[in-house]
Amino acid sequence: MADKTKVGKEYPPVVWEVERGKIRELVRAIGDPNPVYTDRDAAVAEGYKDVPASPTFLTIPAMWCNVLATVLLDASVNVAMVLHGEEEYEYLTEIYPGDILTGVPKLVSVEEKESKSGRMMHMVTIEIDYTNQHGEKAARARTLIVERM
Amino acid sequence: MAVYFEDVNIGQEMPKLVKGPIQKLQHVIYAGASGDFNPLHTDDDFARMVGMKDGVITHGMFIMGIIGQAITDWVPKKDLKKFGVRFMGMTKPGNTITVTGNVVDKIEDGNIIVCEVQAADESGDIKATGRFTAKFPNRDK
Repeated sequence: MADKTKVGKEYPPVVWEVERGKIRELVRAIGDPNPVYTDRDAAVAEGYKDVPASPTFLTIPAMWCNVLATVLLDASVNVAMVLHGEEEYEYLTEIYPGDILTGVPKLVSVEEKESKSGRMMHMVTIEIDYTNQHGEKAARARTLIVERM
Repeated sequence: MAVYFEDVNIGQEMPKLVKGPIQKLQHVIYAGASGDFNPLHTDDDFARMVGMKDGVITHGMFIMGIIGQAITDWVPKKDLKKFGVRFMGMTKPGNTITVTGNVVDKIEDGNIIVCEVQAADESGDIKATGRFTAKFPNRDK
């Protein structure tokens, strides 16, 4: 059961180097044929420096670096009983191949809520603030995990 | 083809995107790309063991991904400022997903357009709802 005393805790940063191939792999998996994500010339013609990371790219560092599992387990959330409730991204600068992102995960809130069927749930919100290698704020990812009791 | 701030009105629909039917193989490709290896999405035996009688369900983030595709088919990625979704229902292989959206607010200060989006299957069951904000260029700039 989610431990509210962990609210506000920041976790060790995760570092992720953005690869051109990984940007391509994600849009291929989604089936998004937009050439801006795979063809450098097409991207430059649209005003980008290189192929930009697609809108949901930040799921990659979060999943490959096990961020959610790390935070949820530390906060004593029963990971067998969780659902992904919400996901939100704020885009603060473009993310390109070669960028080195540093993400700082934080447990921002744990709230109790009753479902329509009367079941108690914990709404666990985790944010990851990403900064790039130039020290610029790159993005903020916010994930809401629902722990069913 | 650029879309200009002046040409967008509250209530206007964004171009819809239809994707599917979703195949199980796509779950495997998506798992590898995203790093989400929860067997709920790739292993029918595991999925049934945890209560999914029809087997595997689609990654929620895959659905967010196709909503993202629909958005950046209309609005360039560089003009997208914020994008969030709430997952409402489970998607299964065989579902065909239609993404629709409409403009709910237009803020002159900063040329900001706010849109609500949703993804629904062939029966109209809503899988995700969401919202995004984007900065639109002016026609004369």
